[in-house]
This record gives sequence, structure tokens and C-alpha cells, in this order.
Amino acid sequence: MSVADALGIDTGRLRESTDDLGRVAMVVVGIAFWGWLVTRWLYDWTLGRWEIGPGAGENFLSPAPLEGVADALEGSVVALGPVRIPVDPLATLADGIALAIDIAPALATGAWYTIVLTTVAIVLGFFIAVPMAVLRVYGGPFRWLALAYTELIRGTPLLAQLFVLYYTPYLALWLNDAPVVGEGFVPDYAFWIAIIGFTINGSAYQAEYIRGALESVDEGQLTAARAIGLSKLEGIRHVVLPQTLRYAIPAWTNELVYLIKYSSLAGFITVPELYYRASRIASSTFEYTPIFTLLALVYLGIVLSATNLMTRVERRVAVPGIGQAEGRQQG
Amino acid sequence: MSDRTETTDGTGRERGADASSSARGTETDPLLRIEDVRKSYGDEEVLRGIDLEIDRGDVEVLVGPSGSGKSTLLRCLNRLTEVDSGHIYLGDTEITASDADPNAVRQQIGMVFQDINLFAHLTARKNITLGLRKVRGLSKNEARQRADSELDRVGLADQADSYPAQLSGGQKQRVGIARALAMDPEVMLFDEPTSALDPELSNEVLEVMQGLVAEGMTMVVVTHEMRFARGGADEITFLAEGEIVERGPPERLFENPERERTKRFFESIRHE
Amino acid sequence: MEGIVALTELSTALPAGQLLPVSEEQVGQYLGEDWEFVYRNSDYLLWGTVVTILLTLTSILLGFLAGFPAGAIEAYGSGYSRAIVRKFGVLLRGTPILVIMIFTFFVLPIDIVLGAAEIGLRSIEFVLGPTPFTVPTDVPEAFIAATIALGFRSAAYQSQIFRGALGSIDEGQMEAARSIGMSRLEAIRHVIVPQAMRRSVPGFQNEFTIVLKDTSIAFAIGLGELLKRSHDLFTQQTTAVLEVILFISLIYFVLTFGTNRTLDYVSNRFAIPGESS
Repeated sequence: MSVADALGIDTGRLRESTDDLGRVAMVVVGIAFWGWLVTRWLYDWTLGRWEIGPGAGENFLSPAPLEGVADALEGSVVALGPVRIPVDPLATLADGIALAIDIAPALATGAWYTIVLTTVAIVLGFFIAVPMAVLRVYGGPFRWLALAYTELIRGTPLLAQLFVLYYTPYLALWLNDAPVVGEGFVPDYAFWIAIIGFTINGSAYQAEYIRGALESVDEGQLTAARAIGLSKLEGIRHVVLPQTLRYAIPAWTNELVYLIKYSSLAGFITVPELYYRASRIASSTFEYTPIFTLLALVYLGIVLSATNLMTRVERRVAVPGIGQAEGRQQG
Repeated sequence: MSDRTETTDGTGRERGADASSSARGTETDPLLRIEDVRKSYGDEEVLRGIDLEIDRGDVEVLVGPSGSGKSTLLRCLNRLTEVDSGHIYLGDTEITASDADPNAVRQQIGMVFQDINLFAHLTARKNITLGLRKVRGLSKNEARQRADSELDRVGLADQADSYPAQLSGGQKQRVGIARALAMDPEVMLFDEPTSALDPELSNEVLEVMQGLVAEGMTMVVVTHEMRFARGGADEITFLAEGEIVERGPPERLFENPERERTKRFFESIRHE
Repeated sequence: MEGIVALTELSTALPAGQLLPVSEEQVGQYLGEDWEFVYRNSDYLLWGTVVTILLTLTSILLGFLAGFPAGAIEAYGSGYSRAIVRKFGVLLRGTPILVIMIFTFFVLPIDIVLGAAEIGLRSIEFVLGPTPFTVPTDVPEAFIAATIALGFRSAAYQSQIFRGALGSIDEGQMEAARSIGMSRLEAIRHVIVPQAMRRSVPGFQNEFTIVLKDTSIAFAIGLGELLKRSHDLFTQQTTAVLEVILFISLIYFVLTFGTNRTLDYVSNRFAIPGESS
């Protein structure tokens, strides 16, 4: 028994050290990932536009040498004959890296659209969601309005909602005629439609999470607020909501992750985000495997960064005793 | 395995009649032998060499301050907790032996929990039949008859179809006792069976336990209920810091303890 | 599958006008020609609905078959098995379903998958005797790819639901089961799982509707489900976009609503008496 215990302690330590190693590796990968994205964006907006360096959207590194390596490796298969097995995967790998370098600028620009779309939509959605949730819980006779809004939007697919906004002429024409849309830094009208679509969709889900959190705040809290002379609205604003929003953070993380992933659907209405760019390249080069693998990795990088960030936020705003993280589905 | 349970069944029945006629606890027939049992959690030594012999038909009450190791000792007896060193024997078989099947051990040693732990998704009757069907392999009818007779024994024949959430705390604990009894154990372990209950609900549980004492069941009971200890125990063992401080019949330990530590403990309980 | 074939024959045998009580002209007269267009094509859309429902069911089933063991491994497993399940989970939950689906459609060799499924079924039959299941051969590749994508993504989420539910069962239940001589496996099977299944209903409800709505993403690989068919229609008559989408939105809404109510009913039906759910 004591031997097993000693072993238990040993394996415990071992696990700790591999955990540490894993954490360091994660940090390194994270820095590399975001370093690449930010450098690329900054360059494309500034130096690239002024035609310094390779130019906006062009590669920093040339994939040519790696392609050469891949060719050489493939060529050497013939020369080496029986030793071909270990060489082949290397050639594939070199090919893959060459391709990654090749499409990296396009993916970085796509990632910018993905991130902006998600962030703007979730923030705007929040400002619709809070009044909706309050209306749903404290709205009295107007509750059904909020109920209808959330249930209708949560009951239909996001893609169908995007199609309504994009293919029906009203919004598209109006946005297309707006003077600033599609000029210079301002993206095309499809992007604005996507923002509207994701905001509405996200707001319904957020309203639902916030409602759940509102209902979990003890009724006595509002009574106590009224007792010290606050109006009902003030009580909700200063006492109930601050507690609620802490409860809602885990669910909010969830929603952020969902939006990041579902922002890929904006590609169907021609928003040039990650998926759109990758699928365009894939359908012209037929290199499905490496391109979609890279695409998945970039999404994974963004999603994991987002969950990490939200965990930090949660810890920072935590008040001892309230706002336990429950029911989270890690992204 | 089934052979063994058959024989324990037989002796168990006999034992009840036997023990009530003869003077209990005077002859030496140790059913449970605990030899130098030690247990640590990390750096904390919870049991520091416990030696104890409990005779067939005896009722042993373990008392002591919280953290004294009494619950851990109880859990070692049916291997819900594994000992670090030392030996525990039930009759002639060593239950702490590395080749002893813990599932077989547990069938012979029933346990009643502080937090009751009825299977929440099953009725009172099915709480009892589950073990009979799946572990003992009884037929549906046999299991049902046995369950109903056990429920009758604890005075709950009318609650057979109630779910745990529909029962009071005292009723739940009585079902818990019936569930353990149905497996025909040689020994029953009680881990603070009434401490989660209101005082008035404790009484019905204590009555059932007194009934078992009268039937001659061998029992090891961790409890703070001094009424039960006074009325039902053959021996009281006082533990503190993982060691047995003092052991003796209730009258002597209550009225005339040898150790100062024991005296202080009983005084503190009396003041509660 | 035979039932579906029979239904298809039925639908082709009867013209739309006979199945529906109102004539096209009447609809056109009162609601305009765009609604008439929707009405005329309603059975085309209803077959899309059938595809959507089938895809949802196969995906949820696959998700359960893979997700329940995965959840159990995350709750009770140790070491490598748990680490592997977790890694796969993070991968599947961190990637958009669209990307997963494109992957299963363009990259995953369906022949090999079907071959593996065939071998799996044969080995099951070898152990359990003949089963009524066969590996589908005449199902469109897009349907299989979509089922695999939605199914495994759902498995990654279902595993979390089941892991949480298994973990939420009080430890005392396990101890009580062990104390009457049950093995760990018996205790899990007879005591923990029945309670955990009840607790996972709300999560499962949520997952079911998510999968149902996400079948629309099979649009990307050209599977003729509800959304794809509506797209086909409104690119044909572009003025009817709003009408077509409102119509299919209503269908989706009825489906999600109906699913939720059904699972509410199931949840109440199997609720433990005396416990508030």
C-alpha cells in the first residue's frame, strides 16, 4: 500500500510537470499564433498599402524553397527505391507547410473579418439581450413580446435568418445605396448584413442566458433594494443585474464560442471571412485536406484563445460566494 | 459464493433464538477480529494501530470526538476504505486479504449510512430487491417477498411503493436498514445513522435498531446517541486521535471511566 | 427505409392538388403569386423536411452511440483513455460544424468509412448473432458525410452532458450500491446511469434542437434538405425569397417546438416521484 502511495505521489508530480510543459507549449503556440495574425494585419493596413515590403496580401516568406524540398524528397524516392516509406510523409509535410505559407495571408485577413464580426455582434447583441431578458422576467403583460422574440429566433436556423436578410431586397438595397458602404476601409454590404444577422441571433440566445441568471438571483435582493428606497428599475439596474451578469459569464463564453464558429456561415452570403477565403482557395486548387486542416486549426486557435480570455475575465470579476461557473461546455 | 450465503442464512436464523436465551457477550466467540489496523490520508494518520475483538451477537458502540477515526474504522470493516496495514477477520476468513473479494465481503457485512443514500430512482421495495436480484440472483417473486418482509420488519410495509423523495428522513433510514438486512449479513455496521435526522425522527430509527439488538444481531455502531449506547450496547469503545483510549461495558464507562480523556468526553456530550 | 420508399411512391402517384384541400388558384387569388409558388412547391419542401428529420435522427443516434461511452470515460476513465477523449472533444467543439462537414465530405473517404462500418457490423453479428441492420449502400454520399459530421460533433457535446450528469450523482449512491455487494460496473449500470439519464434530459433537449437546426448547414455540401430545397426554389423565383424562407422557418419552428414539448413529456413521464425536476 505504501509503495502504491509513493507511486501515486510520483505520478502526481510527473503529471504536474507535464502539465507545466503543456502550459508553456500552449503559451508559445498562442504567442506565435497571435503574433502572426497581428503582424499580418498591421502590415497589410500600413506598410503594405504604401508598397513597402512584399505588398498587402503577399507572403513574407517565399514557399518556393519548401516546395523545392518537397520536390527533391519526392524525387529522391525514385533514387532511394526501398527506403521510400519514411521519405513520403516528409514530402507531404513540406508540401503542407509550403501551402500554409502560401495561403497564410488570405487566412489572416479572413480571421480579421471573423473576429470583428463575432466581437461586434456579441457586444451589440448584449445591448438587445439585457432589455429583452429584463422584459421577459419583470415585464408583466409585455413578457410575451420578449418570449416571442427569443423563441422564434432560437427556433429557426441561423443560416435561414441570414438568407432572409441577404436575399430579400429591402436591407440589401438600402445598404448598397448607403454612400460609405464598400468604400475604402468600410466593408461591403454583405458584411453589414452579417453583423445584423449575428447580432439578432446572438441577442436571443444571450437573452435566454441572462434570463436564467436573473431568475436565479434571490427575489429578496430586489425587495431589499426597494426597501432602501430604490425604484424597481434602479433596483434591477444596480442590484440584480450586476449579480446576474456574473452568473451569466460562463454561458456568455459559450455564446462567444458558438458565434465564432457560426460566423463561418457568413461565407454563404459572400462575407470574405475565414471559411469563405479557404473554400475559394480549395475549390481552385483542389488541395482540400491541407487547406481545411489549416482552416480548422485557425478556428481552433481563435476559439481556445476566447475561452482562455473569458476564464480570466470570470476570475477577475468574481465576487466570493456568487457566480459559480456551471453547465459550461468548453469550446 | 452462493453456498456460503446459504449457510450464513441458516446460522443467522438460529443465532437469533440462541443469543436471546443465553447471556450475550460472556462467552468468547469473536466474530470480528481487528488486528493492528492502520490508515493514513497523506501525512495524517487516522488509525494508529487498532486492536478489537467483537463477539457474535454483541453490540459494539464506537464513540469519540470528530476526527477520532471511528467512521474510518467502520468503513475499513467492509472495505469501502482499504487499510494500510493490519488485518481484519470475519470468523475464520481474513477480509483484508488481497485475494478476498470485496463484493463477497460486503454481502456479509451490511452498512447503514449517515446520509442514508437510498437509490433515488427506485421505490422503497426496489431499493431492497435490486441487491437481491443482481447480487444474490433471486427471482423476481422471491426478491419481492423478501423485500416486503424486510419492510414489514422495519414497520414500513405500507410504504413499499413510495420513492425516497416521498418518505420522511426516519422512514428513509428504516428502508436503508431494511436494504442492508435483506442481504442476510452476519454483521451490521451503522455510521451515525441518526445524526442527519431531527430528534423526533431519530426515535423511530433507534427503535428499529433496538429491535435488532433484541434479535441478537451483531452490530457495530458509530453514534452520538447515548440513549442507544446505554440501553443497547454490550461494549463501548472510546476512540480519540486514531487510538482506542478505553473500552468497557456502558455502565462502567459512563459512571466510572478510568481515563481523564474519556471522562471529559462524556461530560462534554452530557452538556450538549 | 422501406416506409419512405412507399411514401415516395404515394406522393408521386397523387398530384399535389389532391393531397391538399385548397387549390393553387385560390391561394394565388388571396395571398399573391409568391405564396402560390410556395404552395405549388410545398411537397418539394416537405420532402426536404423528411430529409432534415432523418438527418437529425441519424446524427443524434450516432452522437449518442459515440457520446455516451465518451462521457462515461470522461467521468470514470483514467489516464490515456480520458486524455484522448478530451482532446478529441476539444477538437470537435472548437471547430465550426461547417468546417467539420466540409472535411467529412471532401476529405474523408466515404468508401473506407462504410467498409469500417461493415466490418463493425459483421463483428457485432459475429458476437450477437444476426442483426436487422445493414450498411447503407444507396444513401447519397452527402447524407453520410453530414451524418458523420453532425453525429461526431454532437457526440462531443453529448459526452459533456453525460459526463456532467454522471458526475452530479451523489457519491453516496455508489457507496450504498457497493455496500450491498454490487461490483463497480453493476453499480454504474443499475444505480448511477438510470439517475444520470434522467438528469441529462434538459441538456439533451438543447442538443437535439441544435442538431436539428444545424442540419441546414448540409446546404454547404449540396444535400437536398429543407434549406437547400428552399434555396433552389427562391433562386428560381427570386421575388418569393421572403415567402419561401418564412414557410421553411415555420417548419423548423414547428419541429424544434414539437421536439422540445415531446422531450418535456418524456422528462415528466420518467421523473422520479416526489423529486422536483
